[in-house]
Amino acid sequence: MDSQAKLIWTAQPSISFASRYGLAVVSVAAALGLAGVFAHFHVPQTFGAFALSAIAVTFWYAGTKPGILAALLSSVVRDFLFDSHTSTESRLLFDLVFLVFALLMTQVVRGRNELQLRVAERTAELTQLNDNLKREIAKHNQVEAELRLSETYLAEAQRLSHTGSWAWSPPPGDIRYWSEECFRVQGFDPKGGQPRFEAFFQRIHPDDQARIAEVIQRAVREKEEFEFDYRIIHPGGEIRDARSVGHPILGPSGDLIEFVGTIIDVTDRKQAEKERERLREAQADLAHASRMTTMGELTASLAHEVNQPITAAVNGASTCVRWLTREVPDLGEAREAALGAIRNAKRAADIINRIRSLSKRGESTRQLADVNELIREMIALLRNEANRYSVSIRIDLDASLPMVMADPVQVQQVIMNLIINSLDAMKDVAGTRELFIRSESTEHHHLMISVSDTGVGLPSQQTNQIFDAFFTTKPHGIGMGLRISRSIVESHGGRLWAADNSPCGACFYFTLPAKAELGE
Amino acid sequence: MSGNRENDLVAIVDDDESVRDTLQGLLRVAGFTSRAFESAEAFLESGHQRETSCLITDIRMPGMSGLQLQARLNAEQCRIPTIFITAHGDEEMRLRALRAGAVEFLPKPFDDEVLLESVRAALER
Repeated sequence: MDSQAKLIWTAQPSISFASRYGLAVVSVAAALGLAGVFAHFHVPQTFGAFALSAIAVTFWYAGTKPGILAALLSSVVRDFLFDSHTSTESRLLFDLVFLVFALLMTQVVRGRNELQLRVAERTAELTQLNDNLKREIAKHNQVEAELRLSETYLAEAQRLSHTGSWAWSPPPGDIRYWSEECFRVQGFDPKGGQPRFEAFFQRIHPDDQARIAEVIQRAVREKEEFEFDYRIIHPGGEIRDARSVGHPILGPSGDLIEFVGTIIDVTDRKQAEKERERLREAQADLAHASRMTTMGELTASLAHEVNQPITAAVNGASTCVRWLTREVPDLGEAREAALGAIRNAKRAADIINRIRSLSKRGESTRQLADVNELIREMIALLRNEANRYSVSIRIDLDASLPMVMADPVQVQQVIMNLIINSLDAMKDVAGTRELFIRSESTEHHHLMISVSDTGVGLPSQQTNQIFDAFFTTKPHGIGMGLRISRSIVESHGGRLWAADNSPCGACFYFTLPAKAELGE
Repeated sequence: MSGNRENDLVAIVDDDESVRDTLQGLLRVAGFTSRAFESAEAFLESGHQRETSCLITDIRMPGMSGLQLQARLNAEQCRIPTIFITAHGDEEMRLRALRAGAVEFLPKPFDDEVLLESVRAALER
């Protein structure tokens, strides 16, 4: 039995101890009063009936003990006020009636109390069940609200990412689920209900259908994942690019139940990729054009660089022939001269190859590159240009410089632009003309190359503008060299900037991420 | 062909080591004695100007150019028959060199026989 229910229903807690016993006295007094009234109107012997009522009322409302008190009081009152002159047997008979009635009422009250307890128990259980149910309903409502919110977020995410989700059972099954976004991506009206697989397939561009059918058939046969790109023809004739990915769901026995997956509208992404590709090509074209312009200006110097080893090779070959055609040929000397000729011919070929690679309009290819080597090659190529303006070149290359993942031609183009700018800046200065190239490792897995000169310095108040397109201080410049150089460096994940050199001239710095930084 | 050309010193001034070395080899097989210098300044500092019978010099070099070297020698009254060799000589430069007393002005790469003939001509001056 529930103790709380017991407290509530058995002790009549709302009635105090005094009130309960008071009720016994009052009810018997009331019975006495009523009997007196009836006696006044010559209706005798009514106290017994009223006393029984008083006993019943006291038992019912005040409990067993006050009820017994009421029975005792009724018996005393009757014996002394109404039956004082009757026989002892008669008084005992009435006392017995009160006693039996009191016992009967005791049982009635007990029965009532037990019934009330059972009702209380059941009510408490029902209340508990009701509370539990309310809690369950509240929880369910909360879960439902969260689910609805989650679905809203998911639908929004699907709409934003143009990604629909689906479930499809292979024949004889059909599409089991299509998210809202699937309808949009495939160009179906959600009001028309979930389409059949055939209707979906008909939306695929005819040129793609055979390929897609093959992929799906293989995935069903092999119970394997699939992924394909395809084009969709919307009802209005618009063609969209999409990508679908499917994952097989297998039963406990390994049988294929369904595929679940996604459909993504990749039209915008593909368009952006095409745009980026076009931009890359335009940048490469511009970089190439700029390179060719620069190299055109360097023709004389480049010819000199090629001519030097060719001259040495010709000298060596001539010397060799002379040693061989002497009256007494000297094979040792001839061999040495021939080896020198070969060495110099190879050097000429190397220089030509370098020039050719700079002139090539190839695709930008990233490869492991040693920036120090790229600097040395560029210096070798431009040494004569520096000589032309009596510029001495000093280098300080960090031997432990990490490799970079870069397009070597483009990096050389940056180095070439910076060197030529420095030479231009120094050709008219009267004092020391020195070009200083330094490479070093920096923090955050980057390496930094600096090209400094003792030239005229950066244009005052315009330091930031020198990287703008078409900004130039040269009489015949087009103002694209630094713009293109910065674009190349940034496309490699680095930075290019300029600062004043001390005590005179300018210094250009550029950074490139070391190989590890690129996640290779 | 001069009989005592081994006693005549031919000086070579060129900033390119391979050109210097191979020129020395060519002169040696032809029987000439030569000394090579990597710059005009190095030649002037060597003190061999007075004993040099023929000067073969590149024109474009870091620091002092071949034409400046010739002018400097002329200014010092040290008139050495000079052969200019250059990888990018134009007609104007050639005329300037010849007017300043150059024996020959040879574009690189040059014919060995032409060079040696020029050296012989210079030594016979």
